[in-house]
Amino acid sequence: MPEVKLMDKFTKKLREDAAMIDAEISAQLDSRVRASLTAIEPEGARQRKPARRPVSFWLASSLTGVAAAFAVIAVLNVIDSNEPAAVPRTVAANPAQPLEIPALDLDVEAAMLTGPLARELEDLQADLKKAEEVVRGDVRIDF
Amino acid sequence: MSDELQLVDAAKSGSVDAFTELVHGYRERLLRFLLTRCTNHADAEDALQDTLINAYRYIGSYDPRWRFSTWLYRIAIRNAGRLRPQNLTELGDPEDDGADPLAHCIADSERDNLWRSAKRILSDEVFAAMWLRYVEDMSVRDIADVLERSSSWTKVNLLRGRRALEAEMNQTAGNAGSEAYG
Repeated sequence: MPEVKLMDKFTKKLREDAAMIDAEISAQLDSRVRASLTAIEPEGARQRKPARRPVSFWLASSLTGVAAAFAVIAVLNVIDSNEPAAVPRTVAANPAQPLEIPALDLDVEAAMLTGPLARELEDLQADLKKAEEVVRGDVRIDF
Repeated sequence: MSDELQLVDAAKSGSVDAFTELVHGYRERLLRFLLTRCTNHADAEDALQDTLINAYRYIGSYDPRWRFSTWLYRIAIRNAGRLRPQNLTELGDPEDDGADPLAHCIADSERDNLWRSAKRILSDEVFAAMWLRYVEDMSVRDIADVLERSSSWTKVNLLRGRRALEAEMNQTAGNAGSEAYG
């Protein structure tokens, strides 16, 4: 039984009572268990043992590897000889011709943006003049 | 602990001797526990045998982060569950010793054994939790792992089990006292 430093009365009673249960392992049970264990093997134990392979296996796999390497080298050489020279994709910079940045005509752009508003203002001023003339005419009629 | 891990590694490689040495200290404890869960002594011995066989067969799946005893008890409870008839709790009169295999394993002078009362008043799972806590000194987390329950369930039921058993213990003591003076 595991030892406990501080045991209250309840725990002590439970431990003592558990110890009173007779659980002796008989020789018969011991031999039975032993025989059962000997008859089986842990799962996975067989897989962990490396399988011994014959020498011919290693020779064959080495030859296969060498042949595959030669085949790859040969294929790469054939591809290199047939392929046309690639056109360089990079554009060389010409220092004699500096890069021109188009300048924006800000005045034109402002006129384009404010044109409709100016026309609206002119229309409003014309309407105002007409209204003034109408009022003046009315005043003359009255007086 | 490192010795135990070395034995585990040897057992994983197929050493029966290493496994036997590994479980030697646990066999009686397991049998004692199984006696409380099986219908008779023979069933408890069969459950122990099955537990050890399964533990050896599947020792490759043992994770050293667990306590070895926790892992063994988990297997033992599963084996005992397979052998235990579903209607055992409904069998016979609880006062009848014929329905209680513990009666055969406890001397006549120990008739007031608290584990007999525990078996009578607690459910199987709570009984197992109490046993693992108070006899095997397992942590709540380990007990929860063994029983495949949450830690909170384990805590609550350990508390309930303790209260029930303490009440039983006090009642027994009271009866004994009244008989002595009566």
